[in-house]
Amino acid sequence: MDHTESQRFRPSQLWTYLALVILAIIVLLPLEWIIASSFTNRETVFKNVLPFSLKALYPENPTLQGYRAIFNDGYGRAIVNTLGVAITTVLGCLFVGTTAGFAFARFDFRFKGLLWSLVLLSLMVPYEATVIPAYTMINNLGWTNSWQALIVPALANGTVIFLFRQFFAEIPQDFLDAARIDGATWFRVMTSIVLPLSLPVIVTSAVLVFLAQWNSFFWPMLVAPDPNYRMVQVAVSIIGVRQQLTFWDMLFAASTIAAIVPLLLVLPLQRFYISSIMGSGVKG
Amino acid sequence: MTRREGATPYLFLLPAILLILVWRYIPIIAGLRESFYSNAFSFTGAKEFVGWENYTYLFDDPTYWESVRVTLKFNLIVNPVQVILSLALALLINQKVKGIGFFRTLLLLPIAISINVAALAWGLALDPTYGLVNGILDLLHIPTQPFLLNAQQALPVLIGIVSWIGVPYWALFFLAGLQNIPREIHEAARIDGANRWQGFMQITLPLLNRTTTFVLVATTVANFTMFAPPYLLTNGGPSGATNLIMFDAWKRGFTYGDLGGSAASITVFLGFLIIIVAAEFMIFRPKHD
Repeated sequence: MDHTESQRFRPSQLWTYLALVILAIIVLLPLEWIIASSFTNRETVFKNVLPFSLKALYPENPTLQGYRAIFNDGYGRAIVNTLGVAITTVLGCLFVGTTAGFAFARFDFRFKGLLWSLVLLSLMVPYEATVIPAYTMINNLGWTNSWQALIVPALANGTVIFLFRQFFAEIPQDFLDAARIDGATWFRVMTSIVLPLSLPVIVTSAVLVFLAQWNSFFWPMLVAPDPNYRMVQVAVSIIGVRQQLTFWDMLFAASTIAAIVPLLLVLPLQRFYISSIMGSGVKG
Repeated sequence: MTRREGATPYLFLLPAILLILVWRYIPIIAGLRESFYSNAFSFTGAKEFVGWENYTYLFDDPTYWESVRVTLKFNLIVNPVQVILSLALALLINQKVKGIGFFRTLLLLPIAISINVAALAWGLALDPTYGLVNGILDLLHIPTQPFLLNAQQALPVLIGIVSWIGVPYWALFFLAGLQNIPREIHEAARIDGANRWQGFMQITLPLLNRTTTFVLVATTVANFTMFAPPYLLTNGGPSGATNLIMFDAWKRGFTYGDLGGSAASITVFLGFLIIIVAAEFMIFRPKHD
């Protein structure tokens, strides 16, 4: 992402800037309106929209009414649940991804080609198409409303395995041989040599998995409807589906939190997030 | 490069392969099986094998065909629109102008937001009476619109909402593809007298072929399986105008308790999707690669 190559201003660039500004408004305006409205009083939140006044875009007398209402309604619980589930899933995915990625990158064994195609093919199956039978499986296991229902299926993440395999294949063999000659087990080679070198791909995978769990909706809605196991996106949508106007301030506040957390994560880690998205696609 | 290590590789692979088999492959088979069984439990306590009954019942249901029609219409518009706009956005934010890094970050913001938060946020902004968009239309002396409450407008509005995330998301892939094209190629073309449009058509586009094929296939899968917007905003309405197939299948299974019909619908849909994706690969596959 270089902006050192910027040239001096030319009139033809005016169109570029015009397009950039118009698109920036389309992206920012709804976000700004929602954040502003989340701090606006329930009674006045729509007063400035029709007829439109710029006051709709900033809270005149900022209030935390909407936020207080959602936290009284169990939203805090949903945030804690989601953070716990997301962090556990990240750790689990890192374990599964590093071990499998290492085996695919570094070992020679029977059925390697077959097992690798199994991983790659799993990336092609749209997850939505397997949701309903997977839900039946959760039901049969007696896992409805449980942490494992939210975490275990999410560990079957082919993208993370793929990312680690690609990364591990690049590590020079000499590094590993030296340690093996010194008598280290493969597990020790992994923890003391391979993993310290792998920070970029670890962060990339962690961001990818965390965001997937933070933003997941369809699956938690089916397998964990109980308030004790409720995830953030389900909590937002429950407030959203109620949709009577009286609850709009709550929906504004809940949407703001649900959107801000991934944004705060993605902005500083943008480089990693972008490489995770691209690593999972174009090279494949 | 690789070594023979006895059982070690299989131990390393065990968790991954087990998880993928159980949670990615078995559900496909389970779904296929479910589509041939009855919903009601029989006297023996087991579901009964009913052959093609779920399928014939599904195919006799006009709601199903209406949903298929809406899903096809949605995808015939949204996929080309997202491919073209995301390429255009990537070309725009790949320009070397002052401050482009700032705009790039800004325009890619929607990709971090979940589709359902985006749907809910736009649902609020497009509310006919209290929404921001009608406020702005009114300011510009344009008549306010019913948006999602109108059978003609609902589907186009839904396309706009999903593209708000989709376009920047897919633009990221095009941006990567564009940055892989060496500058020298463009310079050589310019010296040969090619104008910008010729350069784009004869150099950029062919060199982006791999990325374009990937984005086309990936948008197809993402948009054919779209679920959250109709669930959260329209409940498939008004009068079935946004009853996308995944939402329809979900309703069959979870609102009407027809799990067999739901599984049959998804099985047909998966088969159809595989054919579409294979066709896209065949048509757009890079010629020499």
